[in-house]
Amino acid sequence: MSKTKKQATSPIRSGVSQHKQAFTHSLMHLWQNPISTWITLAAIAIALSLPAGLYILLGNLKTLTDDNREVPTISLYIKQNITEQQAQDRAELLSELKDIENVKLVRREDGLRHMQQIAGVQDIIDTVGGNPLPHVLVVTPKMSLFGDSGVDLESLALRLKNYSEVDTVQMDIEWVQRLRAILHIAERVVLVVAFLLGLTVLLVVGNTIRLNIENRREEIEVTRLVGATTAYIRRPFLYGGLWYGLFGGAMSLVIVHSSLLFMIAPVNRLAELYGSHYSVSGLGVSVTLIILFCSSLLGLFGAWLAMAQHLRKKHLMQES
Amino acid sequence: MIELQDVSKKYPTGQIALYNVNLRLQQGEMAFLTGHSGAGKSTLLKLIALLDRPTQGKVLIDGFDISQLKQNQVANYRRSIGVIFQDHHLLSDRTIFDNVALPLMISGMRPADIERRVHAALDKVNLMSKEKDYPMMLSAGEKQRIGIARAVVNKPSIILADEPTGNLDPGLASDIMQTFQQFNELGATILIASHDQPLIERMGKRIIALQKVKGR
Repeated sequence: MSKTKKQATSPIRSGVSQHKQAFTHSLMHLWQNPISTWITLAAIAIALSLPAGLYILLGNLKTLTDDNREVPTISLYIKQNITEQQAQDRAELLSELKDIENVKLVRREDGLRHMQQIAGVQDIIDTVGGNPLPHVLVVTPKMSLFGDSGVDLESLALRLKNYSEVDTVQMDIEWVQRLRAILHIAERVVLVVAFLLGLTVLLVVGNTIRLNIENRREEIEVTRLVGATTAYIRRPFLYGGLWYGLFGGAMSLVIVHSSLLFMIAPVNRLAELYGSHYSVSGLGVSVTLIILFCSSLLGLFGAWLAMAQHLRKKHLMQES
Repeated sequence: MIELQDVSKKYPTGQIALYNVNLRLQQGEMAFLTGHSGAGKSTLLKLIALLDRPTQGKVLIDGFDISQLKQNQVANYRRSIGVIFQDHHLLSDRTIFDNVALPLMISGMRPADIERRVHAALDKVNLMSKEKDYPMMLSAGEKQRIGIARAVVNKPSIILADEPTGNLDPGLASDIMQTFQQFNELGATILIASHDQPLIERMGKRIIALQKVKGR
């Protein structure tokens, strides 16, 4: 419509330029309102820390039960007159059974060496004289998780008992089964807590962006008057929501890892008391990235909801 | 060319702001819209700027009925015209440069081009030295000139001004009118709503008088 030839701006360049503006303006807006920004970020971080912390706790408890020493196993105590070679042959035959994952032979010498490391046991061994321990076959059934069992452990144990080399069968699985059942419930609890706190993040960001919209009502109006599209008006607020989510998520990671550092020393001390080399594990790279991604997404969605509500209200007002 | 055909505007409250208005403004023409308070001057400008829609009739720009524009085309249309408001509508937390640059930023123009255009616009209204100031640091007359600079920075073919001299003393008002005159000489079609009769008579341009609808 202009008589003057307008300078051509390609749509891609124009789009990139508008995104750059929204990107920097939204960051500047956070920077220029430090108090409200920090309060919002703290609220998001605390809300995200709880499920993340519970996830770590759960992960560590699972590590305990997944540890090679702790998986559900069946110990076959071999008769004293059976040689190591005979025990080894039996182990190989058993490992070929369809419902057995693997069989490990613990030689009586290895067993004795292990026992000697336990305080107070050496005296008992000295009293008995010689090595009273038998060879042991540690059988791991094919069962990755509690509840997924494809084998009947009781009947398996009974079958194993019938082998002539086997003296006693001991199942080391009950406590693991119980713990896994508890962890299974805890997993559900973490999911519910994560969902509820995720909803909280959504509401916190949505409300913050709603207040931002109210505070910048004049700016929105003027921008609209001079020809801004709805997308242009919406964009800085969406970036704002994204930053709240991303930075809130990052802050929650700082809180979780700081708490973890605070806990490591007493946990290690406790593990030492039990003669374990157990070490506390934190969030891996992939979980860290997932938390940041999800928190950013929640922030973005919260902002989108707030903006959609504003635009709907605006549209209704215009129509009336 | 701006053309209004049998345009009426009735608000949901029942108030009739405009009734059966017919108007034609040639390309490159400068005209004044006058009338008593409540005669519908601002409403008419809003209809042309597509800030509102008529309840009846057509508003044609270069022969095209702008009421046919879809929501996503309205923004494009608004960028092609320049609107000046009585209360400036400047953003108080942005510098003068950023205020004037706003329509160009919305267009997604490159920073170097924005800078060149903004400087040219500020130069036209003689406020080049104020680019780093904030609106609160300016006088009413300066704010109005910044409003004009923002309206013309996109080089629009149509400029609409709603009481641009409403709060200004006669000397400043005259300066503002001279600025509009200069843009008109560059080819822009200009429609200015004003109730300052002596001032607009001095300009020697067409005066369109709106009368309040009886019984509203």
